[in-house]
Amino acid sequence: MADSLAPQCTPLKREYDSCFNSWFEGYLEPAVAASASQQQREVYSRKKAEEFETKCGKVWAEYKECTQRALKEKGLDRLLDQAREENPLTEPAPSATQNQK
Amino acid sequence: MKFYTQSFIYDDPWSIVSLAYFLRYPNPYASHIISCDVISRTQTPSGTLLTTRLILKRGALPRWAPKGIISRSESWVVEESEVDPMGRTVRCTTKNLEFTKVMQVEESVFLHQNDEGKTMQISEARIRSRFGWGLTKRIETFGMNRFKTHVQRSRDGISLILGMLRQSRLQTLGGPAPYSPMYFAPGKIRAKCSNPPSRINSRYYAEVRRMWP
Repeated sequence: MADSLAPQCTPLKREYDSCFNSWFEGYLEPAVAASASQQQREVYSRKKAEEFETKCGKVWAEYKECTQRALKEKGLDRLLDQAREENPLTEPAPSATQNQK
Repeated sequence: MKFYTQSFIYDDPWSIVSLAYFLRYPNPYASHIISCDVISRTQTPSGTLLTTRLILKRGALPRWAPKGIISRSESWVVEESEVDPMGRTVRCTTKNLEFTKVMQVEESVFLHQNDEGKTMQISEARIRSRFGWGLTKRIETFGMNRFKTHVQRSRDGISLILGMLRQSRLQTLGGPAPYSPMYFAPGKIRAKCSNPPSRINSRYYAEVRRMWP
């Protein structure tokens, strides 16, 4: 994968990407029939989320902490906030109420 | 404002095209990508995956651009995506964060599996300049032409990654992968991975390393 915006985060990013991509490959081919009920899908999704947490949760938290610090140092957090205010990104807006992963 | 749209069909199923799409950096057709970070990623209660990535790109300005309008040749781009594995769709939007008055480029990509099991890609771009000084139209035309070239290169990059994924899956049939370092690290660190063997195995990475010496 490409480097991180901060060189000190690149090893963590690689480890995270490696873990995530392996999980993601399975996520893209859900073991749930197209005819499954809403509830069955939700159960499956929750399991997938738990699987991610168990396998990659720790490295994700470390990588995220590293980049968040770098974003602040470079002033990019402000740039991101500003861009959202001036020109709200219409498509998926991750909300804080969703399960943080 | 200029608007451009183009569609394309990949012969492969949606899951592998989507994987290739998210693995597309780095590739030899995207040498302008300097860094790419996931800054947020959440799974929604309905099971879709929302991701925000922050990407640093290198880009050259046209010769006629007034000196000093953009202080450097690198710029930050934010990419927001939603993957729905049940509905077999990916929606992805990218926007530049800076110099938006000079030129705002909003690119959307939609990937969806069609009835034949192939993958349809629809790309759209909205290019808008608020620069003025009689240059607005020229800037928008420049942006549009650059985008058209970019669409082709981007597809070439994805096709290349697809080819490597396909090959590594074929080679892995019949036996577990020896290890699964799911990342590109040409000649660099090799992480120990505790995940179950992935179908994307070391041969894939050997191929990647060969291409990016």
